[in-house]
Amino acid sequence: MSSHREAPEISKDPVADGTDVYAFVSPDKPSTVTLIANFIPLQKPDSGPNFFEFGDDVLYEIHVANSGRATPDISYQFRFSTRIRNPRTFLYNTGPIQNIGDVAWNRPQTYTVTQVARRGRQTTRKVLGTNLPCPPVNVGVRSTPDYPALARQAVRFLPGGKRVFAGQRADAFHVDLGSIFDLGALRPFNEAHLINMPEMNGRNSTQSFNVHSIALQVPIEQLTRTGRRPSGVGDPAATIGVWATASRQKSRVLDRKQARYVGVGPWKQVSRLANPLFNEVIVPMAEKDRWNIRPPSGDRQYQRYVYRPELAALLPQLYPGVFPRLAAYRKERADLHAILLTGIPAGVVDGFQNFTGPTPADMLRLNVAVPPTAEPNPLGLVAGDAAGFPNGRRVGDDVVTVELRAVAGLTIPLVDPSFTPDDAAAAVQDGTSNTNAPLLANFPYLGHPGGGYQTEPGTTSVGSERR
Amino acid sequence: MSETSRRGFIAVAGAGAAAGAVAATAGAAAGADPAHGGGLGGGGPVMVYIEDPAAGRLTVMSGDDEVDVTDKDLVGRILRAAGVR
Repeated sequence: MSSHREAPEISKDPVADGTDVYAFVSPDKPSTVTLIANFIPLQKPDSGPNFFEFGDDVLYEIHVANSGRATPDISYQFRFSTRIRNPRTFLYNTGPIQNIGDVAWNRPQTYTVTQVARRGRQTTRKVLGTNLPCPPVNVGVRSTPDYPALARQAVRFLPGGKRVFAGQRADAFHVDLGSIFDLGALRPFNEAHLINMPEMNGRNSTQSFNVHSIALQVPIEQLTRTGRRPSGVGDPAATIGVWATASRQKSRVLDRKQARYVGVGPWKQVSRLANPLFNEVIVPMAEKDRWNIRPPSGDRQYQRYVYRPELAALLPQLYPGVFPRLAAYRKERADLHAILLTGIPAGVVDGFQNFTGPTPADMLRLNVAVPPTAEPNPLGLVAGDAAGFPNGRRVGDDVVTVELRAVAGLTIPLVDPSFTPDDAAAAVQDGTSNTNAPLLANFPYLGHPGGGYQTEPGTTSVGSERR
Repeated sequence: MSETSRRGFIAVAGAGAAAGAVAATAGAAAGADPAHGGGLGGGGPVMVYIEDPAAGRLTVMSGDDEVDVTDKDLVGRILRAAGVR
């Protein structure tokens, strides 16, 4: 969850809280792109009697921009519907769930996928699939004895060679939340921190937690503005912009007959996400809620926070003497502006570009002409692997390390060759790795969620002892 | 729990399964699909929102839609009914 609970309002609405967006050329099917949007952060697997599910009253969307305006040219809309089979039991399941249609599963959820294509003033809607099943959550070894089989049954084909999955997955994002948000500390560098402590390994805060994922695999030619595969990396039509949103109806009223809130009115965006950590660590607290309800095409008003990121100013203060060159650098961060808001134009990185035009907009920018790497490097483009972040985002990309190093100055030479980064800029990290479930080699690529019975509680820490 | 009791427990819990599915969220689905905007008056509650009383404008929401109406007299009567002055 690179963007879990990242703004005050959405932190109180987990069902609509986008946590991660991924966009990559499918490694096992390179004629397609996989788009993934995760929601509902920090799901404890052991969570009965009511488990996690998509909101029936939320409109989830994955957007694609391909015409250089940072507006959605294609949107995939997802609406969910839940039913209770047996209203007289308190149980989520009344026996082992052997298959996705098993009546023992008392609270099945299904969904509809609609494609909205916009070209000029014309908008075309097409329902791609209805009554598509989500798998149940991973309750435990008795209730969901063969969870991988249930998950496989939830992978469905859509017209035009597309595939879709919507359901619970293991969180693949890794980050030491406890340390990073404890005054910007990185445990491997504890001794250099202003409030120093013994160094130690990072702790992955998302270990053992699940999320809900919407995954869609689409042939490349259905996403480009030309309707064809690009001619090469330099093709202006090769890069698509991707982001995800969640919307709720403008008004809600408590319906006492149904004993729940009912939405009324037009759908309004309440959450959006593209680049990991953008609203988390770049947008100030007082602006985060407004950022969430605005479209990316209006992000020019936030570019000042990218040109002069607060975190870049904090690093030299939190780690005295470690980032002297970063501390002395007074120019605007054109490198971060390119990485996060416009894409990298041709000529900056040999053989690569993912420029989508001059409109500053927070989008993942995927150059679909860059083929998958046989042995992906989690550090992506900064480590010479152009198939990785910030060229889109793969599930295994270590975006925390990449963005930490970029903010620390590692990418300044791309735009200012006169600058030499501090040594620490190439070393800084939070010390975590993906210690959650292993990733899958095939769609939907995110690992199977942890089971409730199998989960062990974490440890708490009482008082103010330093560890 | 004895074997008899356990079997009985599962039987009771599953007794309603044969009764068929119960729509728990029918109200939300009705007319709420943005792909098929049902328009005002499609059933369900109607909400009125007055953001700027001085302008005499109110927003009426129903289903997936809303319409703005300018009617100072109506706004005044609604505010009086709400005890707002």
